[in-house]
Amino acid sequence: MNRHRILAVASKEWREILRDRLFFALAFIVPAFLMLLFGYGLSLDVNHLPLGVLDYDRSASSRAYIERFSASQYFTFKGYLCDERQAGELLSNNQLRAVIIIPPRFGELVQSGQPAQTQTLLDGTFPSRALIAKGYVTAINAAASLDNLARHAGQLGATPDEARRALQPVRLEVRYLYNQSISSIWGLAPKLIMFILIASPPFLTALGVVREKERGSIFNLYASNTSRGEFLLGKLAPYVAISTLNILILWALAVWLYGVPFKGDPLFFLLASVVYVLCTTGIGLLVSVLVRTQMAAMIVTLIVTLVPAILYSGFIIPIPSLKPVAYVVAHLMPAVYYTRIAVGCFLKGVGLTALWPELLILAGYACALFALGYRLFTKRPSA
Amino acid sequence: MNRDDLALWALRLRVMLGKELRQLLRDRVLLAFIVYAFSVDIFLAASGVSLQLNRAATLVQDFDHSTASRELSSRFVSPYFRVDGQISHDSEAQARLDDGRAMLALTIPPGFQADLQRGQPTAVQLQVDATNSVLGFLASSYASLITSRFGLEQAASALGASGAALPVIDNQVRVWFNPNQLDSWFMGITELLNIVTVFSILLPAAAMVREKERGTVEQLLVSPLSPFQIVFPKVLAMTLVIVLGSALALFGVLQLGFAVPVRGSAVLFLLLTALYVFTTAGLGLAAATLARNLAQVGMLSILILAPMIFLSGAWTPPEAMPAWLRALTYLSPMHYYIDAAFGVLLKGQGALELWRSLLGMTLIGVTVFVWGLRRVRMG
Repeated sequence: MNRHRILAVASKEWREILRDRLFFALAFIVPAFLMLLFGYGLSLDVNHLPLGVLDYDRSASSRAYIERFSASQYFTFKGYLCDERQAGELLSNNQLRAVIIIPPRFGELVQSGQPAQTQTLLDGTFPSRALIAKGYVTAINAAASLDNLARHAGQLGATPDEARRALQPVRLEVRYLYNQSISSIWGLAPKLIMFILIASPPFLTALGVVREKERGSIFNLYASNTSRGEFLLGKLAPYVAISTLNILILWALAVWLYGVPFKGDPLFFLLASVVYVLCTTGIGLLVSVLVRTQMAAMIVTLIVTLVPAILYSGFIIPIPSLKPVAYVVAHLMPAVYYTRIAVGCFLKGVGLTALWPELLILAGYACALFALGYRLFTKRPSA
Repeated sequence: MNRDDLALWALRLRVMLGKELRQLLRDRVLLAFIVYAFSVDIFLAASGVSLQLNRAATLVQDFDHSTASRELSSRFVSPYFRVDGQISHDSEAQARLDDGRAMLALTIPPGFQADLQRGQPTAVQLQVDATNSVLGFLASSYASLITSRFGLEQAASALGASGAALPVIDNQVRVWFNPNQLDSWFMGITELLNIVTVFSILLPAAAMVREKERGTVEQLLVSPLSPFQIVFPKVLAMTLVIVLGSALALFGVLQLGFAVPVRGSAVLFLLLTALYVFTTAGLGLAAATLARNLAQVGMLSILILAPMIFLSGAWTPPEAMPAWLRALTYLSPMHYYIDAAFGVLLKGQGALELWRSLLGMTLIGVTVFVWGLRRVRMG
């Protein structure tokens, strides 16, 4: 390998990027924009579910029962309904996500100390949201039920407080680890960095080689004494540089704008991130070597990077939720390993001692991509 | 417009449509990936994910070693939990939670049973790995259900009362449209909608910019074709391909492989998809008029696609979004498409009930198309 030739290819590529001003600007705008938009806007919290109530009882007890739901942050009371048909309609067209039905005689039963029943209808279109809503409903109902029990026991002699203590002798104290406030930007930011660094860099490189093929300028290379390896390295270098700058920008946004604590070693994080970026830009370059048209390069890159990054990187779907086949697919992508590194560095404060296997895998991945690109790229095209 | 004009118009449309389709079909790699995306990719997404808490690895740190403590920990069972063994040291629990081998650690304090028997309130601790907040919530929610039921039974047996006579309020939850909360239905349909979105932005935009980059757009501009006649066949060709792909995915993968119900009309769903592709293609074309080469189109499409997919409402509940962002989602055609597609497939809605979504998509589509066409004319 000749250092000068690598530099020559790199500087040619760099100049080409610089002269395409819109592209150069987008290379920095896209990651920062995604970080800002998702940081402020992406919330997986299930809150303020629009709730309708079908109250056949219309008693003080039923109103008090509903009050427990509408007063919580989980539900937003949207009004009383006339009948089940209306409930079905509003659930269908997304005006409501939950409907509580209170049967006649509810208040009477509750007052006289008899078991009572209510019903909840949930919109199950988005199953995980329905599961969480189910959890809220169960918890709120359990509290109502317990208060009712306690009041009833109070009528038998004990004070409500004593009765409550007797009825609920075991309290569960939950401690959430790694993410003290369960819904905050803290858990999201490291994964956001992971996602952005696989969504954007492959697109920087995806057209790098195939563009020259389509334009015919690749024949300059075929006729030159630059070797395949020198050419690929030189091509990759400017994009890795751009992405490294983006790593720093994203890190700064996470730490300074969102106030996410960074507990790990910054140097280790930077090193691991650069290796990760080598992988993601490498995927783009490999695609570029393989296909013959730019259009195919874009589609292939999207399908092999963006789609898996959404589904299999642990960004919105946790890795333990993946079934065996998807689990294997997930581990064929570099994102999984980098997620562990990013989350570890930010939230857990662990470093090289705990995360060296992940770093090693990423490094191996980058080498394998390069080796594959080297094998498949040829200066002697058959056609 | 007389008959000859109309015939000429139809002829131009046919010729241009033929050109676009031939160009698309000759790119074998591209074609292979389109087929892959509408079949294997959707199959993987639908079969590969379960968002429910599934046998979460639980560690038990039992300091009491009593009947009561064993009874409580034995209730952490399938389908939600799986006890992964007893541990004796805090550090061990910490280490296993740290490296992700366990998700929960339950600590039962010494004197647990004695407290219960004396009627003294007691507490157990649960440490939850909340790296994934949804699973963290579900785990603590199910765990508190288990402990409160356990507590109530202990109290009832201490009072000598049977559980049935207690004045409890029983809330029966029924989940509509997907009664068993099958993730495969949600994941499969969502992935299909994502793929449709990706292709309907990228394919027409790339087809347009490619002509610019190669210079063949000059030929088209000096031909007697109007800008509409240049752009329309491109969009039509892509719509045809994408709707065919959607049909393959719907009938071949989702219905056959996962028994996804089509409660409404499948034809309506495909028509809806066609309308959506048209609308979104307009967005892609508008992006294409800003770009000079395909590399710019690639970056621009990420800029459009990522927010569209994430903020469509499939992943992020619109109710939880900040108001300014929820207002912005009304500008995204995918917002309407998601509602309408799930409405037809799972809720059995018809065209009349979907007027809101249809109107929204049409308005956005017409607006961006007109804007894009004006830009082509100037360029």
